[in-house]
Amino acid sequence: MGKDIREDIAWAHINQDVLKSLENPRPLFWVIVFVALMMFGVGVGCEVYQYQMGMGVAGLNNPNVWGLYIATFIFWIGMSHSGTLLSAILHLMHADWRKPIYRFAEAMTTFSLMTAGLFVMVHLGRLWQFYYAVPYPNERWTWPNFQSPLLWDAMAIFTYLSSSVIFLYVGSIPDFAICRDNIHPGWRKNLYTLLALGWEGTDRQWRNFRVTYLTVACFLIPLAVSVHSIVASDFAMSQQPGWHVTSFPPYFVAGALYSGCAAIITLFIILRYVFKFEEYMTMPILKKTVRLTFAIAMVWTYLNLIEFASVWYSHDEVAKAVLIDKATGRFAPFWWAMNFCGSVVPFTMMVKRWQTSIPIMFAVSLLLNLGMWLERWMIVTPTFSHGYYPWTMDTHYWPSLVQWGIVFGSFGWFTLLFMVFCKIVPSVSMYEVKEMVYHRSLATKKAELGLEGGH
Amino acid sequence: MSVSNLLENWSKFRHTHPVGDKGHPDWEAYPSEIKWAMSIDLDACTGCNACSVACYAENNLPVVGKEKYSHGQAMHWMRIERYWDEDKREVPNQGAQFLPMLCQQCEAAPCETVCPVGATNHTEDGLNSQIYNRCIGSRYCSANCPYKVRYFNWYDYPTTENVWPAPMEQQLNPDLTVRGKGVMEKCTFCKQRTYTARNNAKTEGRKIHDGDVQTACQQACPTNAISFGNLFDPESRVAKQWEQQQVELIKEEQEKDVKPGNNLRGYRIFEELRPYPSVMYLERVRESDV
Amino acid sequence: MIENGFNRRDFLKVLGWGGTAVALSGCGNTSIENGKETVVSYVEPTDYQIPSIGVYYNSTCAQCDAGCNIEGRVREGRVLKLEGNPASSINRGKMCGLGQAGVQAHYNPDRVTEPLLRAGTTTENITWEKALATINDKLNGLKGEEIAFLTGGVSGHVKVLLKNYLDVLGSKNHYAYEAVSPAVVRASNKKAYGVEMPRLHLDKAKVIVSFGADFLGAWVSPVHFSQQYAQFRKGNRPEGRGVLVQIESKMTLTGANADRWIPIRPGTEGILAMGIINALGVGVPADVAAAARDYTTDRVSKDTGVSAEQILGLTELLKARSPSLVLAGSAAEGYSHGSQNAAAIALLNQVLGNVGKTMDAPANVQFAQLTPTTGNSLALNDLNDVMAMGKLKVLFSYGVNPVYTAPDCLKLKDNLNKVPFKVALAHYLDETAMEADLVLPLDSALEDWGSSVPEYMPEPQLSIQQPLMENLYPNTRGVGDILLALLKQRHADQYKAYEDFYSYLRGAFVQNKAALGGAGADDDAFWNETLGKAMVKLPGTAGSLSGKPTVAGLSLPATKASEGAYPLRLIPSVSPSQRDGRHANLSWLQESPDPLTTVVWDSWVEIHPKTAAKLGIVEGDIVEVTSLSGSIKSQAYLFPGIHPDAVSMPLGYGHEAMGRYAKGTGANVFKILDPLFDKETGELAINETNVRISKTGKRVVIVKEEGPNGGSQLGRPKIAVKVSSDKVDLSKEV
Repeated sequence: MGKDIREDIAWAHINQDVLKSLENPRPLFWVIVFVALMMFGVGVGCEVYQYQMGMGVAGLNNPNVWGLYIATFIFWIGMSHSGTLLSAILHLMHADWRKPIYRFAEAMTTFSLMTAGLFVMVHLGRLWQFYYAVPYPNERWTWPNFQSPLLWDAMAIFTYLSSSVIFLYVGSIPDFAICRDNIHPGWRKNLYTLLALGWEGTDRQWRNFRVTYLTVACFLIPLAVSVHSIVASDFAMSQQPGWHVTSFPPYFVAGALYSGCAAIITLFIILRYVFKFEEYMTMPILKKTVRLTFAIAMVWTYLNLIEFASVWYSHDEVAKAVLIDKATGRFAPFWWAMNFCGSVVPFTMMVKRWQTSIPIMFAVSLLLNLGMWLERWMIVTPTFSHGYYPWTMDTHYWPSLVQWGIVFGSFGWFTLLFMVFCKIVPSVSMYEVKEMVYHRSLATKKAELGLEGGH
Repeated sequence: MSVSNLLENWSKFRHTHPVGDKGHPDWEAYPSEIKWAMSIDLDACTGCNACSVACYAENNLPVVGKEKYSHGQAMHWMRIERYWDEDKREVPNQGAQFLPMLCQQCEAAPCETVCPVGATNHTEDGLNSQIYNRCIGSRYCSANCPYKVRYFNWYDYPTTENVWPAPMEQQLNPDLTVRGKGVMEKCTFCKQRTYTARNNAKTEGRKIHDGDVQTACQQACPTNAISFGNLFDPESRVAKQWEQQQVELIKEEQEKDVKPGNNLRGYRIFEELRPYPSVMYLERVRESDV
Repeated sequence: MIENGFNRRDFLKVLGWGGTAVALSGCGNTSIENGKETVVSYVEPTDYQIPSIGVYYNSTCAQCDAGCNIEGRVREGRVLKLEGNPASSINRGKMCGLGQAGVQAHYNPDRVTEPLLRAGTTTENITWEKALATINDKLNGLKGEEIAFLTGGVSGHVKVLLKNYLDVLGSKNHYAYEAVSPAVVRASNKKAYGVEMPRLHLDKAKVIVSFGADFLGAWVSPVHFSQQYAQFRKGNRPEGRGVLVQIESKMTLTGANADRWIPIRPGTEGILAMGIINALGVGVPADVAAAARDYTTDRVSKDTGVSAEQILGLTELLKARSPSLVLAGSAAEGYSHGSQNAAAIALLNQVLGNVGKTMDAPANVQFAQLTPTTGNSLALNDLNDVMAMGKLKVLFSYGVNPVYTAPDCLKLKDNLNKVPFKVALAHYLDETAMEADLVLPLDSALEDWGSSVPEYMPEPQLSIQQPLMENLYPNTRGVGDILLALLKQRHADQYKAYEDFYSYLRGAFVQNKAALGGAGADDDAFWNETLGKAMVKLPGTAGSLSGKPTVAGLSLPATKASEGAYPLRLIPSVSPSQRDGRHANLSWLQESPDPLTTVVWDSWVEIHPKTAAKLGIVEGDIVEVTSLSGSIKSQAYLFPGIHPDAVSMPLGYGHEAMGRYAKGTGANVFKILDPLFDKETGELAINETNVRISKTGKRVVIVKEEGPNGGSQLGRPKIAVKVSSDKVDLSKEV
């Protein structure tokens, strides 16, 4: 395998390369921003219409009370897990190769959480009363229902979101200082001055920074696991067939990591192309990410099979009926597509030649994410369409254009946030790449010394 | 707000199970003399829909119209289901089977625990209340209801054309609200009627008698298939029927299920899920030797 | 009192008590005569109107002819809900969905609120004075036979005033028309038992064999019969739990509740009845046995499509369990040999010895003027003929919608246009009111005064309909008020004492209080008490049924081979809530699913799955139903409860006018009925039309309550559970 990064990149060169990505947007940037804005506009339009008219325009009904909103909510929540995985877990494991790519992965975490949060709001019948779900002190002593998984959900997401923002921010402080020192005077310089919190790179600051960063990382890991476990509880804690499965939390977490990794590959390729980060986002790193993704794909496949098997052998006829309905009913094409995308497509990642093929991996990563989105939809909808009560089953249900519009819009929103992020925060961590280069060169030197005579 | 408030057991506001729940820590604090319950005799039910229309009249249910009905957005708190015998006959030889389905007012209601804001609670007279003001419309309750008897206001029906065109709004029952968009609603066992009856009894300084209150569906039912009353009152028709059918509230398996040949016909739907429904059905009887 | 030639007998006639000896109380200088008493408002706001407290007022339901006694909940001057009156012997506190929707008829947004005069293509709102003057003008110089009244069934004091008005006009043309009525059964009952509508005791029968009588759904007095049915099903009555056998070609609500539902080839009900008589053997009078001899089980089985085993089983059941009750309903009577069918079924009932046990005579009500004039469809044919000849100059219509309910083949609309002046007393601008030259807006049943005597009642009673609230619209009037005003145009002197229909009605009751159980009471007290109950018992004498079976003139045609261009029999069904379509504009009823198909907001074509498969039809296909007389389109619904040789469509849909909920909803089956009539009574043979079904190529998703699993419970263990009667002990049930 090649080197994760060249050891002879000059530090100034790194600064220059990365800071370039913050400056002078190319036309392509504006095109993307424009398209994202349009998409977001569609979503906003749909939401305004839905807000005015009522949830009925989403095509939801009894029994299909949850639709694409909840499915897409889980999808975005899942997406958020990759950032934590790459930055926190791999950080603790001293996996060096994460360094050039973790920053945007963390940004992805934050933004997908923000997108997911929107879906919870969009889904509410009375959006204007959402704060009832917040445990705020009030004179009537009315509290939210602490028994409800949905409330755990709200809290977990909020905690996770605030922690990831802190993590992202803390990790960026040295880079903000670099920006501050290198950027032309103007409002941006002022902004970076503010964000850099007076970072000077003193020894004490570095020591405190390391401790803080490690602490937040340690704090974040259990959160990441809990957040998706709790999302899984929304389903697993209910009584509904197809949801009432104890393996749901690990299944959800695996699915989350899976979709997150796939999204990292997608963004890796896009950023590498758009910002010409070939020096930092190297093929060996892509290869490692792909391998990691493949491993997670297999874990997910395993848990998926476990779910089917535990339903199949459970003697729970109703749950079994839901499973059979998934495979043969109205949603069968989507269910099979999900299995294909989720469990078959990743095998392309086994082919060494393809692991570093940009077009193939780009396509594969998109397919994986499609599969993961379908997975969430296939968790939510068939249980509603084919629940306990035979009389109220509704296999005619299909989400209305309003639902699709908002789902579509959410991608625009996410892209928009990401585009703005790229221009404000260095999407490659400069100081860590420098560290990486330093360690590389140190290692090379050591090797040379060793070759020359050793200790 | 104090720390002690925070540390209080909030679940008690939701968790009074009056029957057979005397071991509950809050039983002493929240005793109840009333547990509303219902029994529906499927043998008497003819499927005529009178109960359902009466419910529309009593409870300000919106008429959603053909298009919304086709989307599964009907608002009938009481729906009549029509089943056929599944004996592969070309023509049914014993007619159809009808099942009036309404909120089962479960004692351990799946809907109550999942509501994020506690908009659906257990009242001390044994009902699932739905606080429209508190509801934020997450629809989790409906998602977790095995009977699918919760109905969501998908639209703002009061302002929707041809739901209550003037002067139809004058028919609306002022004893209960007209629900706006975005809240969940469901059968309340005619809360406005039970409430009035309880108040009257209280004013007169007596206990509720059987017959003090009738639900709208019960009152309309031409065959008296529905009986409703206080399960705690041994003199009530409902209590007698439950007793006679040996159906117990906090049980997921009844005498009828365990002892074959017991000549009983009282059962509750999805008892095995342990929601402990407050509605007992009596099996439809059809002649064996015709 | 004998002034202006207005004698005592006339006086009684005016008030509806004619034809009997009535001791008029206080005859002489009563308050009625000077007409100056202060009428105390029935609502005393200070006493009765307590904000936020609902007060119940008794009245009478006008949604169908069963005449259930109701109580309306009134709060802050608005009527909110109707309940049954527990004191009623008819409905005993219960009420059907149709009745519940009475408030919607009252608050309907599409009511006519102003008198309308049509001249050519323009319509203008006019005053009542002008409206009544116009009628007077148009009637002037006309002969009695040039004037006609077309109404539904009427009874009580409206009937009295109507009769009096027609008498004044010198007309005998009162056509009482009901599009859906048990007229054939009435006639055959009259022949067999001596009365048109004997009293039934379903609750005393051990077995009920109903030939298409939908007594739980839409037949005669469904709420009353439902209560009897509930008793009939009780295991703890001395007779034990009753067994219901329903024999019909299309499953009705009653059929859906049967222990045995027997689909029969359409029109062969009489043959099956004869077959059972033949199979009974012992106990059958010789002449009947002789008449039934030809109806061997094999032949009957072949003709009717009912297996021999079932015929014999049914016979055994009837032998073993007595008393039973055999009923003929609309499914059996709607054929050109409907009278014969009904006669054969009545014969079976008589042979089984049920007369006097599960069926007895209604009491004879003394006041013939008040007793109901029941409607039938023959009346419309007669009127149609008269109109076609151009003999009518003025036609009043009230409580009917013939333009909607008449089959196209009668060409009623064309004939109606031959009448120069048509007056519609209307609640909605329905199809008939749209054709009228003058539309008089009526009060709703919850605003109007009235009295009625139901055709079917356990005990003779006179029900009072009283306003439950103030008029919603200032310019609607009660039908009684209109008739009174019209009468005053002609005979001001006789009616001058009655300021309005209310004072007329009050006068009528108070004058005859002795006969109505108020002897010696103070007028006001009697009247207030009567209003409080909204019904009074009528004096009556016990009647008797003739139980002797007669076979004279009984002939049942062999079944027609159903081949050719129109291979299927069309059975229009009467749904419990839509009936003949008069309530199509009540949104609760449109949204209330049909009990059997669960379809809402549309009509449908019921086809047996076997027939559908043959024709390549699947659920939701828009099919064209074509008879000799026309064709309509509707959605196909595959329905197991129908004879494979038949298709069924519900009546009451497909309005072209009437209101926002009714207009354009579904298709009108009345339109395509062939001009085939019962040979004896001349009633429209509603089930006699043959049709063919063809696909149009369009397909819709049927809007219905039933989910995609249809009536299947998918093997879930405890949802709707049915148990065989030998597995339960009902005798000790509470």
